[in-house]
Amino acid sequence: MENKETVIRLENVSKTFVFRDKKVASFFTQLGWVFTGKNIRRIEALKNINLEVKKGEFLGIVGENGSGKSTLIHLMTGFYKPEKGGKAEISGNFIRLSLGLGFNQELTARENIYLNGSVMGLTLREINEKFDEMIAFAELEEYVDTKIKFYSRGMKARLSFAVAIHANAEILLMDEFFGGVGDEKFKVKSDKVFKESVLKGRTIVHVSHNLSTIRHYATRVILMHKGELVGMGTPDEVFEMYKNKIRVDKLNLRDYVDDDQSF
Amino acid sequence: MPISLTNLLSKYIPENNQLERIWILAKTDFKLRYYETTLGLIWAFLHPLIRMIIYWVIFSYILNQNIPNYGMYIFSGLIVWMYFQEATRKGLMILRSKRYLYENIRMNLYDGFTSSILSTVIGLAFNIFVFIAISPFFNISYSFHILWMFPLMLNLAVLVFAISLILVILNSFLKDISQVWDVFLLGMFWINPIFYAKALIFETFPSLMYINPIAGIIVNLRDVLMYAKAPDMMMMAFDWLYALVLLVIGMLIFNRYFHKAMEKL
Repeated sequence: MENKETVIRLENVSKTFVFRDKKVASFFTQLGWVFTGKNIRRIEALKNINLEVKKGEFLGIVGENGSGKSTLIHLMTGFYKPEKGGKAEISGNFIRLSLGLGFNQELTARENIYLNGSVMGLTLREINEKFDEMIAFAELEEYVDTKIKFYSRGMKARLSFAVAIHANAEILLMDEFFGGVGDEKFKVKSDKVFKESVLKGRTIVHVSHNLSTIRHYATRVILMHKGELVGMGTPDEVFEMYKNKIRVDKLNLRDYVDDDQSF
Repeated sequence: MPISLTNLLSKYIPENNQLERIWILAKTDFKLRYYETTLGLIWAFLHPLIRMIIYWVIFSYILNQNIPNYGMYIFSGLIVWMYFQEATRKGLMILRSKRYLYENIRMNLYDGFTSSILSTVIGLAFNIFVFIAISPFFNISYSFHILWMFPLMLNLAVLVFAISLILVILNSFLKDISQVWDVFLLGMFWINPIFYAKALIFETFPSLMYINPIAGIIVNLRDVLMYAKAPDMMMMAFDWLYALVLLVIGMLIFNRYFHKAMEKL
């Protein structure tokens, strides 16, 4: 592991969001605020994060809501830029996966596959070749030409996962991707994908409240708390810290592990 | 199979994911705009046609314009104007409508704009094609000057591209921009030679011709499509300069503020 190349590197990464409390304000009210500085709120989403992810790693990220997990993913992909003094780098093709992906509700599964496949870097020839495979993986043979808006949540999740794993991404960044969807059958399937990914040397960063996937596959887990990286280690070590952290914060642990029997 | 044209094209054009992506995105935009309706693409043409008829009826009575072939005169102006209006309004929303792309993969930041503009250019090209096709019925004769329409259309597209880059950033910081732009468009509509003779306003305010790049493009496009004349080269050079300067400014602003704008959306 020590000799493997680093694919994601975060150095002294901080991120503070500055915004006005009322989201949309009229022109003159806003003009007033510009001069008075009123209604400005600062949220320190991330504080001085240092992190390296090696090729082939399966990194789990856990933490409460609002602890900075999603912002961390956005900084890894370069969608957000770190503040002065910080550095965020990613090397290789990546895909960020969140529930629903880039699906257009008005398009059919077929059209969405071509659109998303192309957006994810597949050429048309490759999409043509992999099309049947994707549909078979998602088990949507009968609904290929049905508009996505008539799909259930589970069907959408299966479809986006199918497209994503057939794309040429070396790094998968999953942000609450499964979000509570997926039956047992799909779980078995996605587990198989994770196993294969490890074999292929794909790097996976997985943000989730569902700890069972992380427990089974993560080679390393980090714990985020109020914008800080407070713990790092094996799944068992970090889950223990997570439990304590939550206990300290007088929160009910059961809220976080409801959908996880193995915890 | 809905992808057939794309498949056909891909056989002759070397494989390039970026070009394919722009094409697929443009096609999707276009399809969602028109194909969902029963009349489909006809709407792209019906819009300026209905407006033309309204203006034609009203202005030939009220203003006594005395412009020969007044219907076609209005139609040519409206084609350009409505393209500009639709494309910039759409351009203003691009970061929101294409957020899922920018968020999930690494891609050229300008691809979203290129594809959006390409999809509206398809509508523009369709309207110009209809204009040319019906020209003989209005005693308009063809000339090789028609070919000048290509640099003129490109000029218009570059202008829209540049304005979209600037507007989209402004709009993410101040939501009022879309309202301001609508008012601006309304004003622009009345100072452009769309339904009155160009002489009417430009003899009074000759500088307007040069302040407003759309006017130059409308006048030049009319010259090549309706009057079998070469375009006014001085004006064309000026309009290109205008578009390119705005493009440089737009790209500077966009590169500088793109990530900040995304945080605000």
